[in-house]
Amino acid sequence: MIRFNPDAAGEKMLRRLAGGTSRRGILSRLGAALVAAPVFPLLPVSRAEAAKPDRSPEAKTAFARTAQTKDDTKCNYWRYCAIDGSLCTCCGGGMHTCPAGSEPSPVSWVGSCINPDDGKAYMIAYRDCCGKPTCGQCGCDNTDRETQLYLPQLNNNVIWCFGTSSMEYHCSTAMMIGAA
Amino acid sequence: MMTFIGAGKNRLGSKPASLAVGLALGASAIAGTFASPLLAETMVEAEEAEVNTIEPPKPNWFFVRGGWGSAGSSIFDAGTGKMIGMVSTSRDSDLAIDPDGKFYYVAETMWTKVNRGTRMDLVSVYDSKTLKLVTEIPTPGRLIIGGFNTNFVLSDDGKTAYDYNFDPASSVNVIDMVKRKFVRAIELPGCASLIPNPGVGFSALCADGTLATVAVKGATQDITRTAEFFDAAADPIFSNVVYDRKKKLAVMVSYTGQVRTVAMGAAPVVSAPFSIQEAGGMRAADVKPLDVAWYPGGMQPTALHRPTGMLWVLMHKGEYWSHKEGAEEIWGLDLATKKVVKRYPVKGHPRNIEITQDDAALIMVNGMENNAMIIDSKTGETKHEIENAGGGLITVVEPK
Repeated sequence: MIRFNPDAAGEKMLRRLAGGTSRRGILSRLGAALVAAPVFPLLPVSRAEAAKPDRSPEAKTAFARTAQTKDDTKCNYWRYCAIDGSLCTCCGGGMHTCPAGSEPSPVSWVGSCINPDDGKAYMIAYRDCCGKPTCGQCGCDNTDRETQLYLPQLNNNVIWCFGTSSMEYHCSTAMMIGAA
Repeated sequence: MMTFIGAGKNRLGSKPASLAVGLALGASAIAGTFASPLLAETMVEAEEAEVNTIEPPKPNWFFVRGGWGSAGSSIFDAGTGKMIGMVSTSRDSDLAIDPDGKFYYVAETMWTKVNRGTRMDLVSVYDSKTLKLVTEIPTPGRLIIGGFNTNFVLSDDGKTAYDYNFDPASSVNVIDMVKRKFVRAIELPGCASLIPNPGVGFSALCADGTLATVAVKGATQDITRTAEFFDAAADPIFSNVVYDRKKKLAVMVSYTGQVRTVAMGAAPVVSAPFSIQEAGGMRAADVKPLDVAWYPGGMQPTALHRPTGMLWVLMHKGEYWSHKEGAEEIWGLDLATKKVVKRYPVKGHPRNIEITQDDAALIMVNGMENNAMIIDSKTGETKHEIENAGGGLITVVEPK
């Protein structure tokens, strides 16, 4: 089984964040979350497994086996393997674009989703768009490798509107970060 | 229409004399053609607006949150299925019930301009009989999420509250509920899902697969951890852990259905896990794809009937990583014998479950459709179906 590596997720998320925001306050708080030694379990087994990814249908989750790459307004679009909330693509936004008047959160939870076209896994950051009432369109709740609150970067219940001018949740994007 | 009636009541109250005259004139004009009792009927006394009070929290009440993003916790009597009242739990807040039954505590967040402006985090204290606000306790922050019973917990004596904060670093606010004052925040990186730990402080599940115990000692604390006993990424334990105040025992269920009990204390003792599927006479569920089995699922997938040690679990058939799916059955697991002794089919794919802590042991389930069902745990019979009861977390009064 392919296991998701929270270490890598955290590192990539932080790198992305460091390059894309100047909010020192939120950075310092996130830094406190990430630097804490026991936060991210070291998973040598996962790393060893990741070196030889098994992309056979038998190794794919139910979501990955039925995911599609054509329509990003549907819950089964491949990048949405761990999304929870309204799809911004249905709310006047895009895959990495917040709808007018809303504000992207500088932090996010992440998923590791397989693109059926090339069979490769990619790291996806689910950045919430904030500052407007809930969009309400295209509500999805996919849960591949989705965990609980003590592993928050992999939890999709948290409203990730940290560091934005308003914490009101509007919708969720699914930004490509890179290969998983 | 409601506005019109309301305004009419006000006018009635302010000018009773002229209205009475008008009614009398109107009545006398038609008195010649209709019988005289009509006049008597129109002279009824105007009613006064009143406000009810309710009894202190009872063991057979369910407190049901509205669906995601909605506010208010409706109180239902499990026996009658009737609504008793509502606690003002604002959107994404957390409710805790004073063990002495005198107050409801709501950890909540609001802004000066509703959805923007200055953020205010606080614990609102409501009188349990009048349901009116008694006071507010400002706090430095909290996780805005709702839907979990482990983000805002009370010590067994009700004197201390622990309020989980995430911003996005983890900490826990300690609140003195006697002085009604925030005391201090304790940094707790990588941990969440708080469990009361009587006489010690609190414990929390951690990303490294341990249980952290925070022994609160005045202005300092000792934080210790158990050995690693679960894999937080591969087979997480549901954050909504259930806790038995009398036995000082926590019960945890993982995504695959591994059940553990934890004897709380300065050094909590975690039991060896056992499989709920094996307890039901089938093979244990796995994390592999294409392995269809019965899995626990939902947001609040377990309810503990503390007097009998029965754990009620929302179960669905599917593959791994389907842990939020609504239930097709409710399983009754006897924790003492480690046997599934009841399996009830359930409709509506509920995602939350609770059970009253009295002898009646009535289950409530609800789900995405906002409807709730009250089910007799002894027979599986549906006693009440309540439309629009709320689709969120369910809370019950815990035995002291």
